[in-house]
Amino acid sequence: MFKPREMKRALIIGAKHDLGKTIELLHSLGVVHIIDYIPSEEEDRLILGAPMENASGVSQQLLKLRSSAQLLDINPENPPVSAKMTESQITKDLDLKIHDLELSVVSLTEDKNRIETHLKKIDDRISQLQPFVDIDIPLELYSGYEHIMVFSGFVRDLKKLTDTLPRITDEYDLFSADDDEQVIALFIAKTHAEEAEKLLGESGYTEVKLPEGNGLPKQFIEKWMQQKQELSEKLGQTNKELLEYRKRYAEFILASEEYLSIEVQKAEAPVRFATTTHSFIIDCWIPSHNLIKTKDALEKETDGSLFIEDFPVKHEEQPPTLLENPKPVKRFEFLLELYSIPNYRDVDPSFILSLIFPLFFGLMVGDFGFGILLILVGYIFMTKFKESEGFSNIGWYIIIAGIFASIFGLFLFGDMFGMTFQNAPAEGMATYSWSGLLGINIPIPSLIHKMEALGLTELLVLSIVAGTLHLGLGLLLGVISERKHNWKHAVTKIGLLCVLIGLAILIFVMADWTWGQWLKPLKHSAVAPLLWGYLIPAVKAGVYLGQLLIPYVTIALGILGVVIILVSTGGFGLIEVLEVTSHLISYTRLAAICVAKGAMAFAFNIIGLGLILSGNIIIGIVGVVLLILMQLIVLALGSLSSGIQAVRLHYVEFFMKFYKGDGVKFTPFKYNRKYTTHE
Amino acid sequence: MATDAGIIAIGAGLAIGVAAIATAWAQKTIGAAAVGATAENDKMFGRGLIYMVLPETIVLFGLVIAFLLIQKM
Repeated sequence: MFKPREMKRALIIGAKHDLGKTIELLHSLGVVHIIDYIPSEEEDRLILGAPMENASGVSQQLLKLRSSAQLLDINPENPPVSAKMTESQITKDLDLKIHDLELSVVSLTEDKNRIETHLKKIDDRISQLQPFVDIDIPLELYSGYEHIMVFSGFVRDLKKLTDTLPRITDEYDLFSADDDEQVIALFIAKTHAEEAEKLLGESGYTEVKLPEGNGLPKQFIEKWMQQKQELSEKLGQTNKELLEYRKRYAEFILASEEYLSIEVQKAEAPVRFATTTHSFIIDCWIPSHNLIKTKDALEKETDGSLFIEDFPVKHEEQPPTLLENPKPVKRFEFLLELYSIPNYRDVDPSFILSLIFPLFFGLMVGDFGFGILLILVGYIFMTKFKESEGFSNIGWYIIIAGIFASIFGLFLFGDMFGMTFQNAPAEGMATYSWSGLLGINIPIPSLIHKMEALGLTELLVLSIVAGTLHLGLGLLLGVISERKHNWKHAVTKIGLLCVLIGLAILIFVMADWTWGQWLKPLKHSAVAPLLWGYLIPAVKAGVYLGQLLIPYVTIALGILGVVIILVSTGGFGLIEVLEVTSHLISYTRLAAICVAKGAMAFAFNIIGLGLILSGNIIIGIVGVVLLILMQLIVLALGSLSSGIQAVRLHYVEFFMKFYKGDGVKFTPFKYNRKYTTHE
Repeated sequence: MATDAGIIAIGAGLAIGVAAIATAWAQKTIGAAAVGATAENDKMFGRGLIYMVLPETIVLFGLVIAFLLIQKM
């Protein structure tokens, strides 16, 4: 759970006639991560393998099937089926089925396209001829003259045309429709055609080619409309047939597509292996716990004719990373991979992430009402976006954060929707509380009151405590993961740990009074003499720098840390001291966001409740609506910034102490079946 | 004493205000670059987010100083 699975590198060597069986078995086991063979110039006895014989046939089938699927608009995002098919169901007459399907779907689609093009053509013709309906001259009269030239089309400036034409000649006839479009038909003696053309050009003339034939434009349009009607009916029929095909074959297409993809994956696998004329070599990573099982299975399948050798991981090798976590924690691997996939030698921080990320998130929200709402929102995310891995995981994070937020809201802050359950002790301004509003005493106290200066101090100290523990854990993990690879780094981190503790003690002494309050309940316990007798005086002993008390412990730890760092990494390592300091202060964002969100809700409550309790019904209703809206804004903004800041505290402050990342994900040679089952 | 309190309050306001401007200034540039990088390669999202939120520590320094000042009022 805290380390990626241990890997072994394995070589599987065998004769080529065993290749098919070996691939089949490895694929069904699904536990090996194949290392692609890259041919090198020095080693010319090994060549890249060739795909299996059936590869091209299967690929072709797959291509045909996918083209049919595309034409029918079948895609995995919109799966219309739930039942799984077995392989024997699929392979039965597969060739024939795919062929038939392709033939009918292609011909139907072609029909559909042809009809659509035809329809478009008719539409164009109708829209061109439509204006000439108003002129109402049979179409045969527009052509076939010896001495007359005919112009038909639109002009922009009809008035200019009618005014100027008489000046050219009186041997003409101009028909125009009383229409916005200014359609004209001009019959003019051929001798004046040139001048007329010039004039038309000046009037903004565009020609419309009229169709040939006998009859009035109206009759043509009627005929076309009828054609259009028939074609539309045909199109509807074709679409219906396509839909029918889609419905009938969706299941088959998805299942056989998956089956063929698997076959292609297997058939093309040899391309990743090294081969000689008669043998093959598979170079791969196998998780150690699967090694024996895989070996046995392979030997049994091929009657021991394979040679299998495994090697431990060498120092310079980078095996793929396979994380192993229980389901609730596994969802946090997504958050981890968003940063970077852990490398093989990293500590797997998923478990810590799954605890502390929602804890910080919840602390920043820190409100019972918003916590419950967050749980709801997370649940909606998980059910609505079941298909999307990212969103459903985020939903899960929100649910757990919501639980933490409710717990903090109930037991630490004692508030709901930015309002405390009990009255705040002696504050100048008018404030509301649930007890005051509902008129009953709700016995849930606020241990930390966000809206008071004292509360902020306590939250700041709490943040520093959280930061010290979190950073300390990060540094410890860093020491653990570095100790084998680079002892200098490990020692530097021990030095940093000293500095961190020294700094934390300094800050705790500065917040002396707060600690005094928190430790009060221990005053009469068994540890009291130890605490007040030795520990506290020891920590508090120090020198004054102005008003600031610097404890001897801090000075000692600081000097010790700096010396350790100087010895192990030299002066450059001192930069990390600054880094740890700024990272520790960075945790005050926990307090800052908690208070900022609380203050926003507090202010909105004063506005909203002020309106509601004003006594006027209309203003009251406006107040209710406004208050709900404002609370939703607080929820959205507050949870967004809390979430991002909680992620950031892990990505930047925590991970930088130990996490390297840049790993390769373990991708087993297998296929995640959705629509088929293996027999 | 009243003027002292006023000066301290102004100082606290400046501490957090100016620090916030500095943060915003830094984030403006980084944010634009991070969005650009993410548009080109989805995998840059995580790293982009980290770069994006780095300057936020500046405003927190401001907050802490402001808070320490306020306590002197």
